[in-house]
Amino acid sequence: MFDLVFEQIPLFFTWQNALYWGRALLTTLSMAAIGCLVGFVVAFMLVFLRTWPLLFLAPLRGLLIAYVEIFRRIPFLVLTFLVLFATRGFGFHLSLFTVACITIVLISTAYIAEIIRAGFEAIHLNQWESATVLNFGRVRTIFYVVAPQSLPYIIPPAFSYFIMFVKETSLTSQIGALELMSAGKYFNSMGISPILAFGTCLLLYFALSYPLTRLGRRLEGYLKQRYKRRSSMSADGGDLGDLHQVKGVA
Amino acid sequence: MDYTFQWGVAFSYVPYLLGGAWITLHLTFVGFVLGLILGLAAAVAQVYGGPVLRRVASAYITFFTNTPSLVTAFFIFYGLPEIGILWSPYVCILVNLALNAGAFLADVFRGGINSVRKTELEAAEVMGFSLLAQVRYVIAPHIAKSLYPPIANLYIIFILGSALASIFGVEELTGRAFNVDAETFRSIEIYTIAAGLYVFMTIAASMFLAALGRYVFRVKTKVF
Repeated sequence: MFDLVFEQIPLFFTWQNALYWGRALLTTLSMAAIGCLVGFVVAFMLVFLRTWPLLFLAPLRGLLIAYVEIFRRIPFLVLTFLVLFATRGFGFHLSLFTVACITIVLISTAYIAEIIRAGFEAIHLNQWESATVLNFGRVRTIFYVVAPQSLPYIIPPAFSYFIMFVKETSLTSQIGALELMSAGKYFNSMGISPILAFGTCLLLYFALSYPLTRLGRRLEGYLKQRYKRRSSMSADGGDLGDLHQVKGVA
Repeated sequence: MDYTFQWGVAFSYVPYLLGGAWITLHLTFVGFVLGLILGLAAAVAQVYGGPVLRRVASAYITFFTNTPSLVTAFFIFYGLPEIGILWSPYVCILVNLALNAGAFLADVFRGGINSVRKTELEAAEVMGFSLLAQVRYVIAPHIAKSLYPPIANLYIIFILGSALASIFGVEELTGRAFNVDAETFRSIEIYTIAAGLYVFMTIAASMFLAALGRYVFRVKTKVF
C-alpha cells in the first residue's frame, strides 16, 4: 500500500528539495505578512475616517461601511481570480506574488477595519470626552488616548486573522503563485506520491501556523495582564492603586 | 485600459450560476451539520473524556485548525486513492468540510461547555434534575445563547470557504463561474457576478440565521 511512498523517500528528501520547500515557506509567510501589515495600516486609516463625526464625511462613511460589508463576504478564491483578470484585463502585468498580496490586502483591510472599530468602541466614552476637554485634536485623541488603550482588543484578533491569512494564501496556488501549496503540487506533478507531497505540505503549514497560534495566545495574555494592571490603578481613583504600590515596595 | 465590458453575455448565465449557488448552500449545510456533530463529540471528549480520548480530540482540533482546508482537501482527494479509498469529488469536499468545521466548532463548543458555571449544575442537582433534564433545562439554554452567534458566523465563513470545492470539480457557484469563464472569456464580468452572488447569498443566510436565532434561541444577533 505504501510501497511507492517508501520507494520515493530517498528521492524526495534531498537538500535541493528542502531549499525549494524553504523558499516556498518564506513566500507564503511574506505574502501573508505584507498583506496583513498593509491591510492593518489601510484599515486604521479607514476607521480613523469612519469614526470622525463630521457631516461632510457622511457619504464616505457609508462607502466605508459598504466596503467592509462586501469584502468580508467574497470568497478569497473568487477575489483572487477577479484581481488577476482585472489587472491583466486593464493592462497591468503585475507579478502573481503582487496579485496575491493585493487580494490579501483587499480582504484583510475589511476584516481588520471591523476589529479596529470594535476596539475603538470598547473604549469608554469618558476617555474620548476627557481628551476633548484637554483640547486634544482628532489625531492626538486617537494616537495618545484611544489607540494605546484599545490595543488589547485589537492585536489578538488581528493576529488570529493573520494566521488565517497564512492558511488562506494556499488558494493563491490556483493562479500559479509559487508558495507552499504550489510546491506540493509541483512535487506531485513530478511523480512524487501525493501522500508524500501533500503530507509534507500539511506538516509545513502546521509548523508555520502552530507556533504563530501559540505566540498569539501568549501575546493576548501579556496584553490583557498589562491592561489590567493599568486599569486597576486608575479605576478606583488611585486610592487602591497606591496601596498596591506600597505593598509592592514592601 | 482597453477592456470593453460585455455585461449582457455574462448576465445571461445568471440562472446557471444561481443553480450553482444552490449547490453551494446544500453542500455547506450538509457539511456543517456533520461538522456540528463531530465538533460536539470532540468537545465532549475533550472535556469529559479519559486521557487517551482527550489527547485524540486535542490532536484532531489542533491539526485541523492549523492547516489550510485546501491542503487537507488535496490530501483527501489525491492522497487517499493511493491507499485504495476512492471517493467522488462531492464526497471528498463534504468530508473535508465536515472535518474542518468540526475542529473549529469543537473549540466553540468547548468554550460553551466551560462557560456553564459549576454552581448552576449543583443547584440543578439539588433541585433533583436528572442528567437529561440538566442538559435540557440548564446546559442547553445557557449554551445556545452564548454559542449561537459564533456558530452562525462560522457558517458564513464556511460558505465562503466552500469555494475551493470548484478546484476539485464540484460544480458549485465558483465551479460554474469557471465553466462560464472558459466558455465566454468574459472573466471580469463573470467573477464580479459570482462575487456579487456570494455577497447576496451570505447576507440572505445571515438574515435567516439572525431570524432563526431570535425566534428559536432568543438570541439577538446583528446582521451588519
